[in-house]
Amino acid sequence: MHSRREFLEKSYGLGAIALATLMKEEGLLANPAISGANPQHFDTLPKPPHGFGRAKSMISMFMQGGPSHIDLFDPKPELNRLDGKDFPGEVKYDDAAGASREVMGSPWKFSKHGQSGMDFSELVPNMAGIADEITMIRSMHTGVNNHGQSINALINGSILTGRPTLGSWLTYGLGSENQNLPAFVALTDPRGLPVLGVDNFTNGWLPSVYQGTVIRPKEPRILNLDPPMSLKGDAQKRYLDFVDRLNRGHLDARPGETELEARIQSFELAARMQISAKEALEISQESEATLRMYGIDQKETEDFGTRCLIARRLVERGVRFVSVFTGNQTWDNHASITTGLPAACRYVDKPAAALVLDLKQRGLLDSTVVHWGGEMGRLPVIQNRAGAPRGDRKSVGRDHNTYGFSMWVAGGGFKGGYTHGATDEFGHHAVENVVNHYDYHATLLHLFGLDAETLTYKRNGTPQSLIQNDEAKIVSELLA
Amino acid sequence: MELRLAHFAAHRARLVILALLCCGAVASGAPVFEKDVRPILKAHCFHCHGEDGESKGGLDVRLQRFLLKGGKSGPALVAGKPAESHLLEVLKSGEMPKEKPKLSDAEIATIEQWILAGAPTLRSEPETLGPEHHFTQEERAWWSLQPIGNPAVPAKVDAKERNPIDAFVGAALSKNGMGFSPEADPATLIRRLTFDLTGLPPSPAAVDYFLARSALDKDAAYRELLETLLASPAYGERWGRHWLDVAGYADSDGFTEQDTERKHAWKYRDYVIAALNADKPFDDFVREQLAGDEIAAKEGLNANSPTAEGKRRYAELLTATGFLRMAPDGTATQNDLLARNTSITDTLKIVSNAFYGMTIHCAECHDHRYDPITQADFYELRAVFEPGFDPKNWRQPARRLVSLQTKEEKARADAIEAEAKKMDDARLAKEAEFIAEVLGKELEKRDEAIRADLRKAYETVAKERTPEQIALLKQHPSIQSLSAGSLYLYDSTYKTKHADTLKKMTDEAAVVRATKPKEEFVQAFAELPFKPEAIPATHLFFRGNPESPKEVVKPSDLSVLSSWRKTDLPEKVATLPTTGRRLALAETLTDGEHPLLARVMVNRVWMHHFGTGLVKTVADFGHLGEAPSHPELLDWLAAEFMEKGWGLKDLHRLIVTSHTWRQQSVRDAASDAIDPDNRFLSRQNKRRLEAETLRDALLAVSGKLNPKVSGEPVPVTLTEEGQVVIGVDTMDTAGRQTGKYIPLNGEEFRRSVYVQIRRSRPLEMFAAFDAPDMTNANCEIRPVTTVSPQSLLLMNNLGMREFAQHFGERLMSEGVDTAARIDLAWKLAYGRNPRPDEREAAMQFVTLQTAHYIVHPAKPERSVGPAETVEAPARHLGVAAMAHALMSANEFLYLD
Repeated sequence: MHSRREFLEKSYGLGAIALATLMKEEGLLANPAISGANPQHFDTLPKPPHGFGRAKSMISMFMQGGPSHIDLFDPKPELNRLDGKDFPGEVKYDDAAGASREVMGSPWKFSKHGQSGMDFSELVPNMAGIADEITMIRSMHTGVNNHGQSINALINGSILTGRPTLGSWLTYGLGSENQNLPAFVALTDPRGLPVLGVDNFTNGWLPSVYQGTVIRPKEPRILNLDPPMSLKGDAQKRYLDFVDRLNRGHLDARPGETELEARIQSFELAARMQISAKEALEISQESEATLRMYGIDQKETEDFGTRCLIARRLVERGVRFVSVFTGNQTWDNHASITTGLPAACRYVDKPAAALVLDLKQRGLLDSTVVHWGGEMGRLPVIQNRAGAPRGDRKSVGRDHNTYGFSMWVAGGGFKGGYTHGATDEFGHHAVENVVNHYDYHATLLHLFGLDAETLTYKRNGTPQSLIQNDEAKIVSELLA
Repeated sequence: MELRLAHFAAHRARLVILALLCCGAVASGAPVFEKDVRPILKAHCFHCHGEDGESKGGLDVRLQRFLLKGGKSGPALVAGKPAESHLLEVLKSGEMPKEKPKLSDAEIATIEQWILAGAPTLRSEPETLGPEHHFTQEERAWWSLQPIGNPAVPAKVDAKERNPIDAFVGAALSKNGMGFSPEADPATLIRRLTFDLTGLPPSPAAVDYFLARSALDKDAAYRELLETLLASPAYGERWGRHWLDVAGYADSDGFTEQDTERKHAWKYRDYVIAALNADKPFDDFVREQLAGDEIAAKEGLNANSPTAEGKRRYAELLTATGFLRMAPDGTATQNDLLARNTSITDTLKIVSNAFYGMTIHCAECHDHRYDPITQADFYELRAVFEPGFDPKNWRQPARRLVSLQTKEEKARADAIEAEAKKMDDARLAKEAEFIAEVLGKELEKRDEAIRADLRKAYETVAKERTPEQIALLKQHPSIQSLSAGSLYLYDSTYKTKHADTLKKMTDEAAVVRATKPKEEFVQAFAELPFKPEAIPATHLFFRGNPESPKEVVKPSDLSVLSSWRKTDLPEKVATLPTTGRRLALAETLTDGEHPLLARVMVNRVWMHHFGTGLVKTVADFGHLGEAPSHPELLDWLAAEFMEKGWGLKDLHRLIVTSHTWRQQSVRDAASDAIDPDNRFLSRQNKRRLEAETLRDALLAVSGKLNPKVSGEPVPVTLTEEGQVVIGVDTMDTAGRQTGKYIPLNGEEFRRSVYVQIRRSRPLEMFAAFDAPDMTNANCEIRPVTTVSPQSLLLMNNLGMREFAQHFGERLMSEGVDTAARIDLAWKLAYGRNPRPDEREAAMQFVTLQTAHYIVHPAKPERSVGPAETVEAPARHLGVAAMAHALMSANEFLYLD
């Protein structure tokens, strides 16, 4: 109320497609009428950061469900010692009926990798191979023991749905380097959307040009940007020629109408954008070695590998933010963790590691932040909904744990071969160098050269920011 | 803000030039304080140097003599000596205004010239600056605040002129060396008029009929068409939509992330449409929206009024006040001072836009920078609405619904509720039984020795448990957490179906409740009766901060008008149970003498007929707005509008029968050179269809339009890709798309005005084509953009493909062969026959596309619901391809 709410015109929004809109060249063609008020203009043209930023783009592999950190990255010998016994302290459960005090040691072997000697379990051998490229954060904390709330904390900084997500903030602040592709892309899993559905890539109340655009696993791959099935190839070319013919005939009878001309040209521009999108998704241009590296030649890794490779191609072409999702609750191993977790790992391990190596060999890793992680970890005790007898591990799983879990980041200025923070001896609570979701966000913005206090958007008269917690700090130890 | 300042500076510069040209009473060409300098200082300096008792550095700049006297740093200026004037020094260096952008060169030059000329004033300055000196004579003389004149209609200068509108427009054209364009041909006119009045394309039959009639008697045919269109229910849907923009109609609350739904807002939308269709006089329309509840009280109406008409009228009046409940309002989930105050301020913005055409809301924090509106004015207007809002006893959205239930209905409903309550009790008993059963099973898994203690601990009320009991329960989390809420989780453990059983019982009670007579609610602005001493006071908020209330203000109309009309409003009308303030305001605004309401409304109507208002800035008749292109015509129209009984349909008749409106829209190079923006109307403007009209035209042409009127909004939902489409929301509780598809059975083909407006979920096509999403309270004026996402949508959007397929199917069934289908397609889409070259090109296009689909079969596309499994016949796809092209071409999007 200290300053009037800004008058925002979402005149350039286009629902889900949210393409880069008023392109430089289009700026010359478009003819937006002048509003009586003071329409603020929003676009995705590249904008300079507030200060120096090493990171230019980001790929986030979001492992929705909560990968079990104590079975993948954070070895806890104490749990193996206490295996089958009662947990010696207090446990923060989420699920009531399956709650149990029975400790489960990790059934998988851990070993040290790389020059840094980073710990990985046998479930993620390929990730182990990139140990020296990544920063392993073992002290993540959101403290909200519920999928939706914890996802929100990690993607929009609050436990509520409806605020802008990371990709929207970055494209709002920095725009995109390529105006023929969406600035913020979401690569969804063919098995379905994660918990929170499309809110995982929502622009919230930021103008809709900052919404994530979905690249679908089926045709048309990008709605509105990619021709529908019946308009593939020549069919669309003839359609465009015919529309152009109609429009030119129409214009001939109406000389001097610049708006009609502008629309003809906007069709031409749209057609060029289609070609850019198609080219970006064309992975057949890649070498066989690259395809193999991502596991695209194997059934189990074909989907995730393809999406990781597309993510790299997008970033290469200047797209600012790419989210790669795994399907709904892939990592939510409440039951049968002994089979569920290895399957989830096989799906992503090879492609995720390949993405980091590929970016590196192309010289893109320095400027690209890669993130791999979910919204939570798992508890050190079993979850036993089926009432399995003590010691029987076939059907049991592990319940949610947002009080201490692991995720890794690489590139864009993060320090390689570095393990940060620690959980307690059971892996339940982060106890050393705790990294809250807001600290992680502050660090990310810093790497992009953005100042959290400057990157704001006025809503209901109050400037709003990704970071809402005054305690947020840049975790300088993570920086290279 | 920069834009505005730049505009302002340009305006100032023009004034200076004018002053130079005109020579006033003072030295030739020199700026004077009141006219030229004070407005600059008011915009940039008053805030810290004069207003609200603030005089930083001891300097008050509101009068010339104050400037001469100066502040702590000595005199601010020395008359005749710019070089020695401190004021000029700090403005030039940018030191002032502090932390604000520097004044423009033109502004500084004005001040410099003024000082050089000896700092002249027009008249001697007042001794003191009391409220009577809030405004200068110049400010009081602002054009839109003067009584509406009754200008003489100019003499006819052109034989084409048909009515007084043409006389005014013709006179201005001829004065500027231009003339009217010829009248558009009948085919263009029927298309233009049908879209203009109903938002739909004319049917081929209507076109044929009109052309035949026009050949016999052009004017009679036109009058007949006009009356048919004005009588169509589609008229209210079209023009109602225009008013809903101003009112800020939406089906959700906005403000917070949750954007909670407004389940009953649609009744206000229906009220507006019905009022327009019934041609309710505009003054009544305004009175009902501002004070329907007070009118109902005055007329002794309520939900139990003895006659059906009384009940109907009561419902109508209450529904009309929904206007004052349209603003975003976050208090359903964030019921704090900020949210309440913002909602009130937004409502005042809507009132100010709609009825005043002034930016009164810009005076919330300080006196208006440019217009003669004080901060007190803003709060005096707020005082009119304060008792209804009653912010201290704020009613959250659910609590402000007014029931239309009668006593008899209530008695019946109560009896049914008692029945359902019994079923609820039975379910609760069952639930307790299940909990006991699960507890028993859980206990059996434990050592016998601790079972009794555990049970006791569990059954003890949480607050009364001993530390031992608490510790014990912690050891057994699956017992500790057992509750009604977690009961379902144990079903998988024990292979039971307790949750299902309980759900069934809940559902059965719901079935019984569903037999209650439906209780209708309206989302109203209904003031509660107050004892005079308990009427909520309105305070002026220091710098707009609701946490800094200052003096109490009384309800009033804009004080600047007080020099020539009454502005006081009553604090309490004795004859009404409520304060009567809103009814008093409504009566003042509609008394036939108020300078703004009629001008603002005729200007809005004009904008919707021509694409641009006589005053281009339809919601700003102040200094930052644009001056009217035809000031006398504006006044004449406003006077005529009121004199003829405020009838909107009469106003439409007057405008669309004018030659001005009926001109062709083709540009003329000579007129373009003089008047490129066509402000003098030497032709009609070419206009792009608005978002809703585009969708309605697609529906109409494809033969799918469902003409059903009124009722609950057609729902919108999100696809897996985050696109907002028409459909029933079937997301699960975790926000994921379930893929479940609930058919809408034709509801999806209803007109756009009936589609739900969820502020956070604007329908894709609406957002792309500049429809407002109402996140900023309301929409004064829509932008018209031309951007590539629109082209991509027209080309590739699956919803667009559906329209094309429907249109294709229609052509297949209504045309006997391709040639006939081509002719029909042109008739339906463009209201004309194709030219021979177009016919030939279309024939070739359909042939080639059909051949393509023989080789590359394709299935029809669906934007929602299950994918089509069967391929469409190639010749259908070929015709659909033509349909698609026709619907995405400029002739479809633009009106001549």
